[in-house]
Amino acid sequence: MSVIAIAVDIALNSLVLGGVLLIVAIGLNIIYGLSRVMNLAHGSLYALGAYAGFTLVASGLNFFVALFIAPILIAILGLIIERTIIAPVRKRSIVYTLILTYGLMFLLDGLIKYFWGNEPRFIELPAFMRQTIPIAGTHYPVFRLVTLLITAAAMIGLMLFLGKTKIGIILRAASSIPEMVSCLGINMTFVHVGAFALGCILAGIAGVISGPLYTIDPIMGHEMLISSFVVIVIGGLGSLRGAVLAAFLIGLVQTLAEFFITDLAMVIVYMMMAVILAFMPRGLLGEGRFE
Amino acid sequence: MSNHASELGAEGRERRPLRIIALLVLVICLAIFPFVLTNRFYISLVNEMLIYGLLAMSLDVLLGYTGLLSFMHNAYLGLGAYVVGLFLIHVSPSSLWLSILAGIVVTSLIALPVGWVQVRTGGLAFALLTLAFGMMFYTIVWKWYDLTGGDDGLMGVPHPDINLGGIVIANSGNPTAMYLLSLFVVLICFLITWRFIHSPFGAVLEAIRENEERASFVGINVRRYKLYGWMYACMLASISGGLFILYRGYIGPTTMGAFAGAGVLMMVLVGGMGSLWGPIIGAGIFIFIQDYISTMTEHWELFVGLVVILLVLFMPRGFAGLGDYLTRFRKE
Repeated sequence: MSVIAIAVDIALNSLVLGGVLLIVAIGLNIIYGLSRVMNLAHGSLYALGAYAGFTLVASGLNFFVALFIAPILIAILGLIIERTIIAPVRKRSIVYTLILTYGLMFLLDGLIKYFWGNEPRFIELPAFMRQTIPIAGTHYPVFRLVTLLITAAAMIGLMLFLGKTKIGIILRAASSIPEMVSCLGINMTFVHVGAFALGCILAGIAGVISGPLYTIDPIMGHEMLISSFVVIVIGGLGSLRGAVLAAFLIGLVQTLAEFFITDLAMVIVYMMMAVILAFMPRGLLGEGRFE
Repeated sequence: MSNHASELGAEGRERRPLRIIALLVLVICLAIFPFVLTNRFYISLVNEMLIYGLLAMSLDVLLGYTGLLSFMHNAYLGLGAYVVGLFLIHVSPSSLWLSILAGIVVTSLIALPVGWVQVRTGGLAFALLTLAFGMMFYTIVWKWYDLTGGDDGLMGVPHPDINLGGIVIANSGNPTAMYLLSLFVVLICFLITWRFIHSPFGAVLEAIRENEERASFVGINVRRYKLYGWMYACMLASISGGLFILYRGYIGPTTMGAFAGAGVLMMVLVGGMGSLWGPIIGAGIFIFIQDYISTMTEHWELFVGLVVILLVLFMPRGFAGLGDYLTRFRKE
């Protein structure tokens, strides 16, 4: 392969990885921004999305139908979790919500192992997506390009939802001044539940599309959780633009590191995070709302 | 993190003679226990409780007293254990105290820059970063096969002689001797930490937990004191790591993993944050249950997750909270 082909390959791969990271991290960021809950079980919800996608496709549904149904299932699960477990501790210190969702992460992981076992799973793709197409001297898998399109569509959909619909505008208002929104007679419970469901939908979408990209196993959620933290912390907590920037930066660094040194790729990413935070404690585009 | 304080039990400042007597009785019981119940299984079980008790106590200095959450405090137990093990294998197979000292020094040197970055960010990012850095250490230990043995773990760690003031007492390969050494070290650490927490220094840490902003207004350098608390907790954790490798003679990367970290957090929760003895009791209960349940069911993870959720929802102050409740009840 020529140098250009390798460069194109790496560029596209880092876009794909960055896109998946972005969807998960933005879900986490939205939940935090709207309800001040850092949901450590978010990675496990993402893994559950992948498993739901796997089961739906294995039972004979089309991949795109699964991509539509699985996030809704995860959102329903998220609603139940929000109402039963997270709502009672919302008023307490953030230490408690962190520990609580950490426990929830292991509970969900345990459930995944209970229902699907430890062995890795793969989502079966439709025939046309298993082919490759030639781009600048390299043969790039069609599925990865489709993933890019899905990521872009999800992000545009999210932007339109938050920017143009009435619910989206209420959610955005609630993220900046929750007291005022509450005073205007809008039920804050609705905002919290809505944010959680939205985050879960995004985690579900990311789960289903990463099913064919990577292997599905019970610890896939842990890696994604840590990576999306890194995205949020580097980008700046509560900053959506920062998250976009950080997601693609980490996608690029991780892809490069995987290409050149394989084994310790994540260590490079953590090191980069440490260096950025040492000089910019609030992240690249943080608004200083860490507490 | 401001309303954190009201939910944590403030340990009574006055020294009650009753407490000292209770501690003495407990220590004597623990010291004569291996000569009464000579079964090796029980000795190593209680030894593990002591070691994890020390780790849980060190996490409590951070979580219960400074108000900082560390998700993977076991990473520093692991680092201490690996350093002690590597020291015994490669440098000197017979110097026990020197190896523990090496463990403390090297772990502190690693924990210092990590802590420095962590305290510069806020409370929430601090917690997230402990997870990221913990995973980093886990990945390094797991992948660096030539040094650490990777997945197989560090094996063939020699057992040095236990040497007190120039007199060789016993070999650390002897479970009873090793148990008594752990008891001795944990007791010393407990007493030092007790003094530490009930000194003006500890009061500063508690002030930071109660209200960070106010603490900084009265002239406390919050970041620096948070870093001191972090370094102290990591040093204690590395000592527990030294005891861990001396008693087991083996350590694998899972000891440093995220799930083991949740276990340590659960010990502190079961025992109760903000009371030094609570987490030690919590560690005892956790190790005891783990020993029975994890052999019976493969879904140990499910159980831990469920118990953590239930504890936070219904018993946020753990056993120590229960104790306070009972004393209040008796007074009334």
